[in-house]
Amino acid sequence: MYVVRPVEPADVGALETLLAASTPGVHTLPRTREKIAAFVERSVASFAAHVDIPSEESYLFVLEDVDSRELVGTAAIHASAGSNGTYFAFRNDVIQQVSRDLNISHSVHALTLCSELTAYSQLSGFYIRNQDTAGRESALLSRARLLYAVLAPHRFGDRFFVPLAGVTDDDGQSPFWDALGRKFFKMDFLDAERTIGGARNRTLIVELMPHYPVYVPLLPGPAQAVMGQIHPSGELAFDLLTEEGFEADEYIDIFDGGPILQAHKHALRSFSGSMVRKVANAELQPPTRGGKAAMVTYAVASSERKFRAIVLPCDPAESSEAICLPPAARELLAVATGDSVICVRI
Amino acid sequence: MLVIRAITLNDIDPLIEMARQVGSGMTTLKPDRAMLGERVETAVASFAQTIAPEERDYMFVMEDTSNGRLAGVCAIKAAVGLTEPFYNYRIGTLVHSSRELGVFTRMDTLYLSNDLTGSTELCSLFLMPEYRTGYNGKWLSKSRFLFMAQFQHLFTEKIIAEMRGYQAEDGTSPFYEGLGRHFFKMDFNHVDGLTALGKKSFIAELMPRQPLYVAYLPDDAQAVIGQVHRSTLPARKLLEQEGMHYEGYVDIFDAGPVLQGRVAELRAVRDSVLTTAEEGQPDGECEVTLVSNTKLDDFRMVLTQACDGGRKVALSVRELQLLHCQPGDPIRSLALNVRKNNG
Repeated sequence: MYVVRPVEPADVGALETLLAASTPGVHTLPRTREKIAAFVERSVASFAAHVDIPSEESYLFVLEDVDSRELVGTAAIHASAGSNGTYFAFRNDVIQQVSRDLNISHSVHALTLCSELTAYSQLSGFYIRNQDTAGRESALLSRARLLYAVLAPHRFGDRFFVPLAGVTDDDGQSPFWDALGRKFFKMDFLDAERTIGGARNRTLIVELMPHYPVYVPLLPGPAQAVMGQIHPSGELAFDLLTEEGFEADEYIDIFDGGPILQAHKHALRSFSGSMVRKVANAELQPPTRGGKAAMVTYAVASSERKFRAIVLPCDPAESSEAICLPPAARELLAVATGDSVICVRI
Repeated sequence: MLVIRAITLNDIDPLIEMARQVGSGMTTLKPDRAMLGERVETAVASFAQTIAPEERDYMFVMEDTSNGRLAGVCAIKAAVGLTEPFYNYRIGTLVHSSRELGVFTRMDTLYLSNDLTGSTELCSLFLMPEYRTGYNGKWLSKSRFLFMAQFQHLFTEKIIAEMRGYQAEDGTSPFYEGLGRHFFKMDFNHVDGLTALGKKSFIAELMPRQPLYVAYLPDDAQAVIGQVHRSTLPARKLLEQEGMHYEGYVDIFDAGPVLQGRVAELRAVRDSVLTTAEEGQPDGECEVTLVSNTKLDDFRMVLTQACDGGRKVALSVRELQLLHCQPGDPIRSLALNVRKNNG
């Protein structure tokens, strides 16, 4: 069994071990102990904060293997992208070129530096150990943050986005960066990312990045080819997020050209498909007529104040007022029968 | 002998004949009877001063008086861009600097502009191949400066000349291939032809309106910005000697340079001399000199030898006839070559 819970100060050591193995270039995760500790501290404070308007809060969740008590994954969500600054992205614009005289009509793609994603809530820091062999706990980990947002809507914006790492080669070179950012920053991709600390809200972006649209046909082929393409390490996250209802194609990252998925919360399954149910004792319920085959997999989350989320097969709860949870599940969620939980099919 | 004179309506047919030999690359001289005919009529009205100064288009022909054939043509358009937009790219500079990162990046940019609207344009210079000898090319080009020196009041302060841009061996323009083609999706010659026909609205419709960073263009496109076609190098040098210079405006299709100058700063305006015609033989130390009459409605010019920096012009009877002048009439003279040593 796995449980997703808010990070705790005692997790810092385990996180350091876990994140040391993550791929460089996945720029939303801290790597040094000091920075991890700061991130954890900020998360703890964020969970404890009384929030009226989403602002600088960052919430970090960890995936724990209950049997081994190991941390095996992380996922984060920032209440407001840009943290009171401006979150910069490239918007994919399509410019219609029409000449009536010449009977010409075609479209030209252009990238425009924009700040529209500012104040969206931003998902980041999705990392799971052994992602190739991971099962439905990866879906739980990705979705748990959104279930928390369902439980605590006042802590988040109405719109969410997720930047995913773009394509880099084995040496950490990014074809998109080489065609664009390098001309302005005059440094290697990884150097730039290190310098800026993965941030997209810094003044130096305004100072250095192009203010005018970048016409895509003018970019070299390799740079065009990787626009909106994900780094192989991001495939799992991409699949989970598109299944959740996030859409790609409208925005890309200003550094590596990786996709930025975004959606209004109403388009996300965690919001539109989640249900509030009373917890019932699975052992006291009569077995369903269809037997085990009729069971469906739910992600179940407890409450805003004592947030826990698990994934497990249950009897369908759509037409019932209750969801039947076995004792182990109730224990992990720290809920008793009669408490309310939210659940969503995975 | 050769004479350069204001064009007349009788020149339309030979002019069309000449335009057939021009080939692509010169948008203002296409063998189109309607267009050229209209242009010559405008030119005749210009010399007759029956149209407003800004509408005028002064065309000159070089005529071989031995056989009555036209050897060349050139023109001064009083003001460009007043009836249809006149586009150029202006090379600008944007500095991207971050004190925090210690990065200071100076970027060249291309701004689509109509900045040169209203300028006087030197254009439509063409000399028949069999006349490309001696001083003919130089004379034909420089004749316009002497005309402007004589009639300064007819021109705007700014004069420009668009130079043909660089082309590769196979006739393609690296700049067009690197930029325009993405937006026009047609061959350079086709686009060029459309502008010659005056169909310029497509430029506004299809060209990127926002400034472009030069650094986005392929290297070979970047390299030819402001570079002239190989065959145009002497023409560029010649105009530069006369006081015109490249100030960062280029053609939007082939990035050929626009040379700019101010009328008051032209060598012809500074150094040409208004004097009187004399009959006789040049005497003393002479140099090749452009000599014109001062009549707008019957402007004529010869190339001859003159002494004393053009202040003393002794003309043969034949030359006086070509100029439609009598001894004692006012004439204007300008040494063909720039004096190397002005002391």
